[in-house]
Amino acid sequence: MVHIMEGFLPWQWCVVWWIIALPCLVFGIYQLKKVLEKDREALPLLGVTGGFIFILSSLKLPSVTGSCSHPTGTGLSTICFGPWITSVICAIVLLFQSLFLAHGGLSVLGANIVSMGIVGPLAGYAVYRALRNTRINMYLTVFMVCALADLFTYFTTSFELALAYPAEVGGVMSSFALFMGIFAITQVPLAIVEGVVLALVFKYIVKLKPDIILQLKVFPEEKIRAARGET
Amino acid sequence: MSFKYGLEIIALLAIIGFCGLFLYTSSIMSDAEFAGSDTVGSSQIAELTGKSEEEFQPLIGQWIPPSGEIESALFALQAAIGGIFVGWVFGYWKGQKKTA
Repeated sequence: MVHIMEGFLPWQWCVVWWIIALPCLVFGIYQLKKVLEKDREALPLLGVTGGFIFILSSLKLPSVTGSCSHPTGTGLSTICFGPWITSVICAIVLLFQSLFLAHGGLSVLGANIVSMGIVGPLAGYAVYRALRNTRINMYLTVFMVCALADLFTYFTTSFELALAYPAEVGGVMSSFALFMGIFAITQVPLAIVEGVVLALVFKYIVKLKPDIILQLKVFPEEKIRAARGET
Repeated sequence: MSFKYGLEIIALLAIIGFCGLFLYTSSIMSDAEFAGSDTVGSSQIAELTGKSEEEFQPLIGQWIPPSGEIESALFALQAAIGGIFVGWVFGYWKGQKKTA
């Protein structure tokens, strides 16, 4: 899971992650307000990208290690709106899961927001910025962003747990390797499937509503035209 | 993508491959429980700290779905909410395109 379970993080660490998460959320809400004021047509796009976070993060899928985990779905919204607005959507999903599903919990919510809503999307966003203006295929970019945002979420979860529970021998790093073995390896096949599926979704967004993608300057105009076969 | 449906085919192959991988792992790993990786993670924490899992009590009390069935219903609800958003917007865009 993305989640650290309620009670499994000492309160000191809960506070630390909450302190990191809160300013990001505040900034995300501010950005969200600005985007929606500027362009009401961004709202449906927010609905689609947020909708996929809801759908994908509810699917618990089996993986190669014999345990189940779920994709995060954060990549699309990261590409269209950036990491901070994505944090806000993730916070809503995670709150839902904390309150109704006993997945995660209120004390560990900060830590879970940092992994799923902040570090994952930030890693994806870095890839997106690096590849946006290159000749690399637009859908390949979307694939990589989504897959990496997913993977980095689990790297972060492992790291958060390792910090709280350093091993007696080898300390934080050895715990980190241990948790990575559980979370990250399970996640690799899921991240690949998630990347491919979301790239396909992005193709349909571009097909149906290229104007909004252009307006938000998600990708350069030539790339979108080329993808639509207009050149 | 030179071929019109290239991405669709890749996505389909990825999903089929994923299912195949699942069938393969579930057939060779007879002891696999396919429990959530958070459950596996929690038992790992218990092992690291030398405490039993029961000692980890929620810091903030939380409501726990009384059964797996209720939990999966709520998960389905979450997916449905997402699905409604996605379907509504795609339909909205499609309608906009027609009237334009």
